[in-house]
Amino acid sequence: MNKLIKIIVPVVLLALCLKVDAQFIGNVGDVQMDERELYTMTKQMGQFIHRFNYEEDQYGKRLYPGDKDFRSTAKRKDVLPLLFDLNNQRTGGTLRDFFIEDLTKNNQYMEFLGGEWYSEVSAKFIWKGKAVDISMIMALEKEGLGSKWVISNVFFSEFQKYFPHGEMAEREKHFLHPMSHELDFMNIYKVFNDPQIIEYYASTDYLPDYLTLFFYEIKQGNLKFDHVENVKFHVFQIDNWYFEVSWFNRRGYNAGWLISNLVYLKDNEKEALLKIYQPKK
Amino acid sequence: MKKLLFAIAFAFFALTGYQAFAQEPELSPERKQAIDSLALEKVRDLSKYVKLIGSKNTPWSEANRVIDRAEELFAPDAEIGVSSLSKTKVEYYKVRQYLERLMRLNYDRVEIDWYKIQYVSDLQRQPDGTYVGVITIFQTFKGYDAEGRLVYQDTTKKDITVYVKRKETQIGGRLIGFWDVLLGDMRVKETAH
Repeated sequence: MNKLIKIIVPVVLLALCLKVDAQFIGNVGDVQMDERELYTMTKQMGQFIHRFNYEEDQYGKRLYPGDKDFRSTAKRKDVLPLLFDLNNQRTGGTLRDFFIEDLTKNNQYMEFLGGEWYSEVSAKFIWKGKAVDISMIMALEKEGLGSKWVISNVFFSEFQKYFPHGEMAEREKHFLHPMSHELDFMNIYKVFNDPQIIEYYASTDYLPDYLTLFFYEIKQGNLKFDHVENVKFHVFQIDNWYFEVSWFNRRGYNAGWLISNLVYLKDNEKEALLKIYQPKK
Repeated sequence: MKKLLFAIAFAFFALTGYQAFAQEPELSPERKQAIDSLALEKVRDLSKYVKLIGSKNTPWSEANRVIDRAEELFAPDAEIGVSSLSKTKVEYYKVRQYLERLMRLNYDRVEIDWYKIQYVSDLQRQPDGTYVGVITIFQTFKGYDAEGRLVYQDTTKKDITVYVKRKETQIGGRLIGFWDVLLGDMRVKETAH
């Protein structure tokens, strides 16, 4: 309960003491309306990054290197808890406190072009006449004079079904012996006997390339884009941590882009996960 | 008068800013703020136009002229993507199509107001060097029937793409650099407010 109060009180105080005009160069609006909720909302992912790093002060003013409070550790400690979805048990409590401690003690920040953060775009497609869900993983890539978002992988259950992780004992039964070449590979027909396990004959390191399958299906006309359902972000930039940022369209002082999942993840485990998000890196 | 002052400030900024920019690939905070002002001016124009187009007091011919002005703020291929709380699938409109729909809304009176809150993103460069940013603004819409009853209202978040390009023009034989700001795609999303 005390912890909850510790979080809620700063949120309310922040909302009540707002002097929002400090954020702006000029205003679009001309009518007096209650804007406190919209102010506290983390409106863009870029704003999430600035608040996460304390590159935006409590009045919404952008801070730059050289400014007194730029990346202020003490103030950052106050702001970071507000960037969590406060209705979510998984991102609360001790885990969150450890995370904030790690961030502030080791001065870890999120960088827009720092890599190792991804957007997951969940979309509806029409595949062979039926509606299906496909998640596209997007990564920021430097190119030319700037950068761009690229598709780094896709998750589609129908593709995954084609490449089940078979039992090792079963996999070991299927191979071409090392002297097959001397027989002009006359045994190679065995590879094609059971198409469901054809990949057992590939290298032990073989990983299916779902992105190529995805492009192939699109080019064949079997898969057609319909619409985007949802967007969220997966961040691996912080040493030993993974967190997810989702959009919360709701009233109150805890809305917009917020941390929706937090996992303590050793760097070697992270590497394995990163290969899924961005296989060709 | 405000427009004149703005134009003078813009010209001054363009004249003094060019030399420094030519040697400077990244934007300084000061330059970024100056560009933000230019971009916000466009967004402010758009918000005024939207109010005029939506108003039932604006004559049809005048509303059409305002649509022309509003369309000029956008890049030619810009689209508006609209979703609501009940209909999350994004509907796409061309700028003109979107504004014409606004003009034809079937209410006796509408009120369109803009919150004073807004958020201007950092400017990032895309591969061709053009800077791109997003300005977020919020709008309330109220539609009334003939009896003056409020029959529909919503608050929408509008995320507007802003393209900023460095261009040059010759004035009196001198090459002058200036920032060209154009609006791009706009995402309109209903909020829970």
